[in-house]
Amino acid sequence: MNFELGNKFEECFVLSNEVYNGFIVVFKDKNPLHTNNQFAVNKGFKNKIMHGNILNGFLSYFIGECLPTKDVIIHSQEIQFKNAVYLNDELQFNAEIIGIYDSVNAIEFTYSFKNKEELIVAKGKIQIGLLK
Amino acid sequence: MDRNELLTQIKTIFIDILDNEELVIGETSTANNVDDWDSLTHIQLVVAIEKHFKIRFTSKEIQSWKNVGEMLTCIKNKGI
Repeated sequence: MNFELGNKFEECFVLSNEVYNGFIVVFKDKNPLHTNNQFAVNKGFKNKIMHGNILNGFLSYFIGECLPTKDVIIHSQEIQFKNAVYLNDELQFNAEIIGIYDSVNAIEFTYSFKNKEELIVAKGKIQIGLLK
Repeated sequence: MDRNELLTQIKTIFIDILDNEELVIGETSTANNVDDWDSLTHIQLVVAIEKHFKIRFTSKEIQSWKNVGEMLTCIKNKGI
Protein backbone atom coordinates (compact mmCIF):
# COMPACT_ATOMS: atom_id res chain seq x y z
CA MET A 1 0.00 0.00 0.00
CA ASN A 2 1.49 3.29 -1.08
CA PHE A 3 1.18 6.31 1.15
CA GLU A 4 2.95 9.51 0.25
CA LEU A 5 3.83 12.66 2.09
CA GLY A 6 1.09 15.21 1.62
CA ASN A 7 -1.68 12.68 0.93
CA LYS A 8 -4.93 14.22 2.14
CA PHE A 9 -8.08 12.60 3.47
CA GLU A 10 -11.45 13.99 4.43
CA GLU A 11 -14.61 12.76 6.06
CA CYS A 12 -17.78 14.27 7.45
CA PHE A 13 -19.02 13.26 10.88
CA VAL A 14 -22.30 14.14 12.55
CA LEU A 15 -22.50 14.21 16.30
CA SER A 16 -25.90 12.58 16.32
CA ASN A 17 -28.14 11.59 19.19
CA GLU A 18 -27.14 8.00 18.55
CA VAL A 19 -23.45 8.76 19.00
CA TYR A 20 -24.02 11.02 22.02
CA ASN A 21 -26.35 8.63 23.81
CA GLY A 22 -24.19 5.65 22.94
CA PHE A 23 -21.14 7.32 24.46
CA ILE A 24 -23.00 8.00 27.69
CA VAL A 25 -24.42 4.50 27.86
CA VAL A 26 -21.01 2.94 27.34
CA PHE A 27 -18.79 5.26 29.38
CA LYS A 28 -21.21 6.62 31.99
CA ASP A 29 -19.92 10.21 31.83
CA LYS A 30 -23.07 12.15 32.73
CA ASN A 31 -21.28 15.28 33.90
CA PRO A 32 -23.85 18.12 33.76
CA LEU A 33 -21.74 20.00 31.25
CA HIS A 34 -22.69 17.21 28.84
CA THR A 35 -26.22 16.52 30.00
CA ASN A 36 -27.74 19.69 31.45
CA ASN A 37 -28.38 22.61 29.12
CA GLN A 38 -28.83 25.20 31.87
CA PHE A 39 -25.67 24.10 33.67
CA ALA A 40 -23.68 24.45 30.43
CA VAL A 41 -25.23 27.86 29.66
CA ASN A 42 -24.27 29.05 33.14
CA LYS A 43 -20.69 28.08 32.31
CA GLY A 44 -20.72 30.20 29.19
CA PHE A 45 -21.64 27.69 26.51
CA LYS A 46 -24.55 27.90 24.06
CA ASN A 47 -25.93 24.58 25.25
CA LYS A 48 -24.76 21.29 26.70
CA ILE A 49 -21.50 20.37 25.06
CA MET A 50 -20.49 17.03 23.65
CA HIS A 51 -17.79 14.89 25.20
CA GLY A 52 -14.48 15.72 23.54
CA ASN A 53 -13.52 12.09 23.54
CA ILE A 54 -16.34 11.27 21.15
CA LEU A 55 -14.01 12.78 18.56
CA ASN A 56 -11.47 10.10 19.42
CA GLY A 57 -14.09 7.60 18.30
CA PHE A 58 -14.29 9.37 14.96
CA LEU A 59 -10.50 9.20 14.75
CA SER A 60 -10.65 5.49 15.41
CA TYR A 61 -13.17 5.11 12.60
CA PHE A 62 -10.99 7.13 10.24
CA ILE A 63 -7.90 5.03 10.89
CA GLY A 64 -9.71 1.72 11.00
CA GLU A 65 -12.16 2.15 8.16
CA CYS A 66 -11.28 5.04 5.85
CA LEU A 67 -7.68 4.41 4.89
CA PRO A 68 -6.95 2.38 1.76
CA THR A 69 -5.74 -0.55 3.86
CA LYS A 70 -7.08 -2.39 6.88
CA ASP A 71 -3.57 -3.40 7.97
CA VAL A 72 -3.21 -0.55 10.45
CA ILE A 73 -2.73 -0.02 14.15
CA ILE A 74 -2.63 3.23 16.10
CA HIS A 75 0.70 3.81 17.86
CA SER A 76 -0.08 7.16 19.42
CA GLN A 77 -2.35 10.13 19.09
CA GLU A 78 -2.74 13.58 20.53
CA ILE A 79 -5.72 15.87 20.46
CA GLN A 80 -6.27 19.49 21.40
CA PHE A 81 -9.82 20.67 21.97
CA LYS A 82 -10.26 24.21 20.67
CA ASN A 83 -13.99 24.87 20.64
CA ALA A 84 -17.12 23.23 21.97
CA VAL A 85 -19.08 20.72 19.90
CA TYR A 86 -22.86 20.60 20.25
CA LEU A 87 -25.46 17.95 19.59
CA ASN A 88 -26.12 17.46 15.85
CA ASP A 89 -23.05 19.45 14.83
CA GLU A 90 -21.64 18.39 11.48
CA LEU A 91 -17.88 18.18 11.60
CA GLN A 92 -15.57 18.32 8.62
CA PHE A 93 -12.55 16.11 9.25
CA ASN A 94 -9.34 16.64 7.32
CA ALA A 95 -6.11 14.71 7.67
CA GLU A 96 -2.76 14.89 5.92
CA ILE A 97 0.28 12.66 6.00
CA ILE A 98 3.19 14.62 7.43
CA GLY A 99 5.67 11.84 8.09
CA ILE A 100 6.51 8.47 6.63
CA TYR A 101 8.94 6.24 8.50
CA ASP A 102 9.59 3.29 6.22
CA SER A 103 12.15 1.78 8.57
CA VAL A 104 9.44 0.95 11.09
CA ASN A 105 6.38 1.05 8.77
CA ALA A 106 4.95 4.08 10.55
CA ILE A 107 2.98 7.03 9.24
CA GLU A 108 2.18 10.30 10.96
CA PHE A 109 -0.92 12.36 10.23
CA THR A 110 -1.97 15.80 11.26
CA TYR A 111 -5.72 16.29 11.44
CA SER A 112 -8.43 18.75 12.33
CA PHE A 113 -12.17 18.80 12.90
CA LYS A 114 -14.04 21.93 11.82
CA ASN A 115 -17.65 22.83 12.49
CA LYS A 116 -20.08 24.48 10.05
CA GLU A 117 -18.76 27.89 11.04
CA GLU A 118 -15.29 26.75 9.90
CA LEU A 119 -14.05 26.90 13.47
CA ILE A 120 -11.49 24.27 14.37
CA VAL A 121 -13.01 22.36 17.24
CA ALA A 122 -10.13 19.94 17.64
CA LYS A 123 -6.80 19.15 16.04
CA GLY A 124 -3.82 16.94 16.63
CA LYS A 125 -1.56 14.23 15.32
CA ILE A 126 -1.81 10.46 14.99
CA GLN A 127 0.92 7.97 14.35
CA ILE A 128 -0.07 4.61 12.94
CA GLY A 129 1.78 1.47 12.05
CA LEU A 130 1.22 -0.55 8.89
CA LEU A 131 0.94 -4.21 9.75
CA LYS A 132 2.76 -6.74 7.59
CA MET B 1 28.67 15.89 16.48
CA ASP B 2 30.85 14.50 19.24
CA ARG B 3 29.87 10.91 20.11
CA ASN B 4 29.30 11.76 23.78
CA GLU B 5 27.03 14.66 22.80
CA LEU B 6 25.19 12.31 20.46
CA LEU B 7 24.71 9.81 23.29
CA THR B 8 23.42 12.62 25.52
CA GLN B 9 20.84 13.62 22.93
CA ILE B 10 19.84 9.99 22.40
CA LYS B 11 19.47 9.57 26.12
CA THR B 12 17.10 12.56 26.25
CA ILE B 13 14.95 10.92 23.57
CA PHE B 14 14.95 7.60 25.44
CA ILE B 15 13.92 9.36 28.67
CA ASP B 16 11.03 11.03 26.90
CA ILE B 17 9.78 7.95 25.05
CA LEU B 18 10.31 5.49 27.90
CA ASP B 19 9.02 8.05 30.39
CA ASN B 20 11.81 7.32 32.85
CA GLU B 21 13.77 10.25 34.26
CA GLU B 22 16.13 7.85 36.06
CA LEU B 23 17.06 6.03 32.88
CA VAL B 24 20.72 5.14 32.49
CA ILE B 25 21.87 4.06 29.07
CA GLY B 26 25.27 3.57 27.51
CA GLU B 27 26.70 2.21 24.32
CA THR B 28 26.25 -1.39 25.48
CA SER B 29 22.59 -0.94 26.44
CA THR B 30 20.11 -3.20 24.68
CA ALA B 31 16.37 -3.80 24.82
CA ASN B 32 17.16 -6.69 27.15
CA ASN B 33 18.64 -4.51 29.87
CA VAL B 34 16.57 -1.32 29.55
CA ASP B 35 13.18 -1.44 31.24
CA ASP B 36 10.14 -0.91 28.99
CA TRP B 37 12.17 -0.96 25.76
CA ASP B 38 9.79 -3.23 23.88
CA SER B 39 8.77 -3.56 20.24
CA LEU B 40 6.28 -0.70 20.35
CA THR B 41 8.55 1.73 22.19
CA HIS B 42 11.30 0.72 19.78
CA ILE B 43 9.17 2.07 16.92
CA GLN B 44 8.56 5.28 18.88
CA LEU B 45 12.29 5.60 19.58
CA VAL B 46 13.22 5.17 15.93
CA VAL B 47 10.60 7.69 14.79
CA ALA B 48 11.68 10.19 17.46
CA ILE B 49 15.35 9.80 16.51
CA GLU B 50 14.59 10.18 12.80
CA LYS B 51 12.60 13.35 13.54
CA HIS B 52 15.17 14.79 15.93
CA PHE B 53 18.15 14.38 13.62
CA LYS B 54 16.15 14.76 10.38
CA ILE B 55 17.48 11.47 9.08
CA ARG B 56 15.92 8.26 7.80
CA PHE B 57 16.99 4.72 8.58
CA THR B 58 16.32 1.64 6.55
CA SER B 59 14.73 -1.41 8.10
CA LYS B 60 17.97 -3.27 7.34
CA GLU B 61 19.96 -0.76 9.38
CA ILE B 62 17.61 -1.03 12.33
CA GLN B 63 17.67 -4.80 12.28
CA SER B 64 21.47 -4.75 12.31
CA TRP B 65 21.77 -2.86 15.59
CA LYS B 66 22.85 -5.00 18.50
CA ASN B 67 23.03 -2.18 21.06
CA VAL B 68 22.83 1.58 21.50
CA GLY B 69 26.45 1.94 20.38
CA GLU B 70 25.62 0.48 16.97
CA MET B 71 22.66 2.82 16.76
CA LEU B 72 25.01 5.76 17.45
CA THR B 73 27.43 4.57 14.78
CA CYS B 74 24.61 4.34 12.28
CA ILE B 75 23.53 7.90 13.13
CA LYS B 76 27.13 9.14 12.88
CA ASN B 77 27.42 7.51 9.47
CA LYS B 78 24.55 9.72 8.29
CA GLY B 79 26.69 12.78 8.89
CA ILE B 80 25.43 13.74 12.33
